Amino acid sequence: MAFEVHRQHLPLFEDDGRAAATDDEHGRDRHYLPELPAEDPYAAGHRTCAGCGPAIQYRWVLKAAGGDTVVAGPTGCMYVANSTYLCTPYTVPWAHTPIASGGSFTSGMAAGYEAMIRKGRYPGPFPNIVVMAGDGSASDIGLGSISGALYRNHDALFVCYDNECYANTGIQVSPTTPYAGMTTFTPFGKAIPEGKKLPPKNLAKMMAEGHPHCYVATTTVGYPVDLMNKTRKGLNHVGAAFLHCYTPCQKGWVYQTSMTVELGRRVVESGLWAVWEYDPEERKYHYFHPPVQRPVTDYLAMQGRFGHMLPEHVANMQVAANQNWQDIGMDVPQNLRDLEDPERHRRLKEEEYSMPLNRGVGA
Amino acid sequence: MSVRGTHIPEHLRLPIAGVTPPPTEKEGQRLFPTGNFRFFRPVYRDKTPPCNHACPTGEQIQKYLDFVKHDRYLDGYLTILEDNPMPSVTGRVCYHPCETACNRAAHDEPIGIRSVERFLGDFGLNLEENPIKKDLPPLNGKTVAIVGSGPGGLACAYHLRRKGYASVIFEALDSAGGMLRAGIPAWHLPEEVLDKEIAKLTGLGGIEIRCGVRVGSDPGGITLDHLRTGYDAVFLALGQDVGRRLDVEGGRSRGVLGALEFLRETGLGRPVKVGRNVLVIGGGNTASDAARSAVRLGGGEATIVSLESEDELLIVPEDLEQAREEGVRFRPQHSLVRVIADGEGNVTGAVLCQARLAKDENGNVRPQISEGTEFEVPCDTILIAIGQVQVLDWLPESFTERGLVKADEYGRVPDDSEAVFAGGDVMRGPSMVVDALGDGKRAARDIDRVLSAQPLEPDGPVEVMPYERLNTAYFRHAPRTPVPLTPAGTRSKSQKVEVTLAYSREEAVAEADRCMSCGVCNGCDNCYIVCPDISVMRDARENGRYSIRTHYCKGCLVCVQECPTGCLEKVPELDFDEPDAVVRMETAFAPYDGAHAEQAPFTRQLIEDAIAEYDRSKTVQPNGRGVTP
Ligand SMILES: Cc1cc2nc3c(=O)[nH]c(=O)nc-3n(C[C@H](O)[C@H](O)[C@H](O)COP(=O)(O)OP(=O)(O)OC[C@H]3O[C@@H](n4cnc5c(N)ncnc54)[C@H](O)[C@@H]3O)c2cc1C
Ligand SMILES: Cc1ncc(C[n+]2csc(CCOP(=O)(O)OP(=O)(O)O)c2C)c(N)n1
Ligand code: SF4
Ligand code: SF4
Ligand code: SF4
Ligand SMILES: [Mg+2]
Repeated sequence: MAFEVHRQHLPLFEDDGRAAATDDEHGRDRHYLPELPAEDPYAAGHRTCAGCGPAIQYRWVLKAAGGDTVVAGPTGCMYVANSTYLCTPYTVPWAHTPIASGGSFTSGMAAGYEAMIRKGRYPGPFPNIVVMAGDGSASDIGLGSISGALYRNHDALFVCYDNECYANTGIQVSPTTPYAGMTTFTPFGKAIPEGKKLPPKNLAKMMAEGHPHCYVATTTVGYPVDLMNKTRKGLNHVGAAFLHCYTPCQKGWVYQTSMTVELGRRVVESGLWAVWEYDPEERKYHYFHPPVQRPVTDYLAMQGRFGHMLPEHVANMQVAANQNWQDIGMDVPQNLRDLEDPERHRRLKEEEYSMPLNRGVGA
Repeated sequence: MSVRGTHIPEHLRLPIAGVTPPPTEKEGQRLFPTGNFRFFRPVYRDKTPPCNHACPTGEQIQKYLDFVKHDRYLDGYLTILEDNPMPSVTGRVCYHPCETACNRAAHDEPIGIRSVERFLGDFGLNLEENPIKKDLPPLNGKTVAIVGSGPGGLACAYHLRRKGYASVIFEALDSAGGMLRAGIPAWHLPEEVLDKEIAKLTGLGGIEIRCGVRVGSDPGGITLDHLRTGYDAVFLALGQDVGRRLDVEGGRSRGVLGALEFLRETGLGRPVKVGRNVLVIGGGNTASDAARSAVRLGGGEATIVSLESEDELLIVPEDLEQAREEGVRFRPQHSLVRVIADGEGNVTGAVLCQARLAKDENGNVRPQISEGTEFEVPCDTILIAIGQVQVLDWLPESFTERGLVKADEYGRVPDDSEAVFAGGDVMRGPSMVVDALGDGKRAARDIDRVLSAQPLEPDGPVEVMPYERLNTAYFRHAPRTPVPLTPAGTRSKSQKVEVTLAYSREEAVAEADRCMSCGVCNGCDNCYIVCPDISVMRDARENGRYSIRTHYCKGCLVCVQECPTGCLEKVPELDFDEPDAVVRMETAFAPYDGAHAEQAPFTRQLIEDAIAEYDRSKTVQPNGRGVTP
């Protein structure tokens, strides 16, 4: 006889999608986070670098998922730095998978739990099944296995934490490394002054377009409530869900450790990362329109990996950003239009840009 | 199957891996105290918000706005009462230096602090029982004499009562309140509100107000010596209630009045007859109040004649705008030359001339008249509002200087008893209600110190939080909630209808929500959530309940950067000039003691135990395999 599979339902937090500000039940405007779960299945004592973006993302995803969760992690920083000497910081079951097989491993876990529950061998409810793969794993080495899992619609959440490089092996270029982003495999020099010539792979759009029955969303570590809500929506969705999350890597990008969350906002405000949600029911994208639109230099200048950019490179970046603004249905203000002209730029090092409030270099 | 903790298969349970203690949320992964990554440590340290700093009573504005945000009105009210006894009064008439200083002005518009204060004040006035009464200390047997029942005197009595002192307030007029009653018109501050606020104070027990007693002047009446000998301390809050006279030809005609006297009589319920064509001489708030009251009482017109140009007028901007709406006219940069009267001595007109405001080296007003520009205007009443003074001849000469009572930085008057204090307008010259309230509060503190033989000390230095150090990414732009007003047509016909109206509950909350909580933790939880290392701990979402788990905090300072209010800041962890001061953290995997870290005794023990355990398991068991614990 077959037992029924009971699924968890995780309530959403109140949010208007902007920074950490939120509306309360009276529809008031206030900067005050909603009540967050006390649980932290990703515990202190992990060995990522100070200010690590992926670590913030790991924490938020697992906080939102809660204690009845099973996690897989393909090779990458978040495996290596977190599980040296077999000492892991997870209070929930966690497994390492080879870098290429995050998708297949997770498919197996999801199918396995379903089968065990149906046969009465696991008391249930169906646990939250999450895999968190780096961009190298999700967009490159393990892309096929994740695509397969999404296609077969296994009930799991596939997260790509995107630090825009193969970080753990020492910052090599990955498909999501931005144009002009310097890595150890894309050094800048006489032959290739911009360092990286290719535009980044649009992984999340690829996942949404290619697997239209899946819940697909993007977010950044700049928006905690948004990230936690998308995690919960992805887990509540029966079937496969894919979450692409922008997570700065201070080592690879060369910025002050304190700026991780600020970068998570700035990348969106400069039009270089679109925050959206794809609803498989309606087959529609819902785009978040940030309250501020800023020149790409406000973002680029905060990071050492772009320090070599020449005026024409910065202008190219602005062209791409302006295209992104239009893609998400926002007007391009004239000042940003004007910045498409290389004449309007200097070398990035000499550009004027608005630094955020700076409360100090950390670590 | 285990759902929690790292599951280690049996065959992997080797000495080191095998001892891996599973991490717990509370303890973390104890083998890795990642705190040794750190160069800087985040520290919570509240600063003083500029609003609070600018308020002479030191009202904790951020704190009560935060209570209002959370619908905790009683807590908000009690917070105000710690510093200011009469929020329903200040909530109506205060010139709000707090709003002028508010950081939100640099962001969009300042918080409507006064209106929220009024909302809380009126909330409190409507309570059946004064909520502070039950917690008052018993009277300690000492009594302080206070001269003057204006805001200065009342505040002093109130704060003394909170410390256990009784007081007797001597008031020359027939009713209490000082300028709150005898100056500020009822359409700014209704009598009933003032009555209730005063009743709330006298209802505390231990505060007695003796009206109709003018200290010092009545022969056979109460003198300063009576107060010095009959009471433990004296507080002089006499205000300045004598209008300055203007010596011009015809100045004694019927229809020429002091604006202060006019407002006082009106305030005490003895309205003075004014004509339909009123000239008010002066360029300050008294002139504005007098002109607006004259419009209301006479039903005619009032014109403010001032030496000041439009820009120089000393009228607070909102009052100026309201006066204009009510039809008050202005004749800036003019001076009164002469009053014209008819045969019976009644005013029929005035001669004015062009003039400019100028001051001599002592700061005294010396009008600069343009000769030959004289012209005549008709009028039936002239109100003089060119400043005020106080009669101080009953005080020892050593107490006074240039028409004011002189006092040291503690408000103490030079007197052998060392227990005579002063405050308010009589010490400062014309100022604000809230200055007098602040002086009263400080005098109560210092009288208490003197009477309990403690030294007088100045306030410690404070760090005021500037706008530039807030993380404004978290504060979206939101317009100030407008303060409702009675339409000019309605209000200018009545001496009683309030001009400025109250915020509704929703409006008060919406306005409080705009506060950025400058420099003070408000439990927003941002630091808690942004930490990659689960090192911001809190047992409740309240100021003071957050702490940093330094065992794990890596010092990335993301929390410091993302703190909207700036109460979280960094301090250097290590003193690099002092190598001996470098703190070495214990970690499990130091190659040897002291290399870059020390091996923690507890991990050494764990490993030793595990090796022993492993060796034991190698001894042959009945089934031929080792038993793992
Ligand atoms: C017309 C007018 C409008 C004003 N409007 C505002 C306003 O809107 N907002 C604001 O912040 N400020 C306003 N002010 C200023 C404010 O009223 C004063 O700064 C404040 O009242 C000073 O308080 P005080 O306690 O020092 O003195 P007062 O309020 O002047 O009180 C002194 C009291 O002492 C009594 N007294 C004096 N001598 C003796 C004596 N010898 N024996 C017994 N009693 C005596 C007086 O009768 C009086 O009641 C206004 C002032 C005026 C004149
Ligand atoms: C098949 C295979 N090739 C290469 C590696 C080496 N390797 C280990 S971690 C890593 C980087 C992974 O990058 P990413 O997935 O982006 O994660 P990140 O380190 O950036 O967190 C690589 C290339 C491997 N483990 N397996
Ligand atoms: S290298 Fe980058 S991704 Fe890896 S732990 Fe450090 S900050 Fe995190
Ligand atoms: S924003 Fe709030 S805390 Fe800051 S100055 Fe204004 S009222 Fe005070
Ligand atoms: S965010 Fe966490 S690890 Fe970073 S400084 Fe703050 S408490 Fe320390
Ligand atoms: Mg990566």
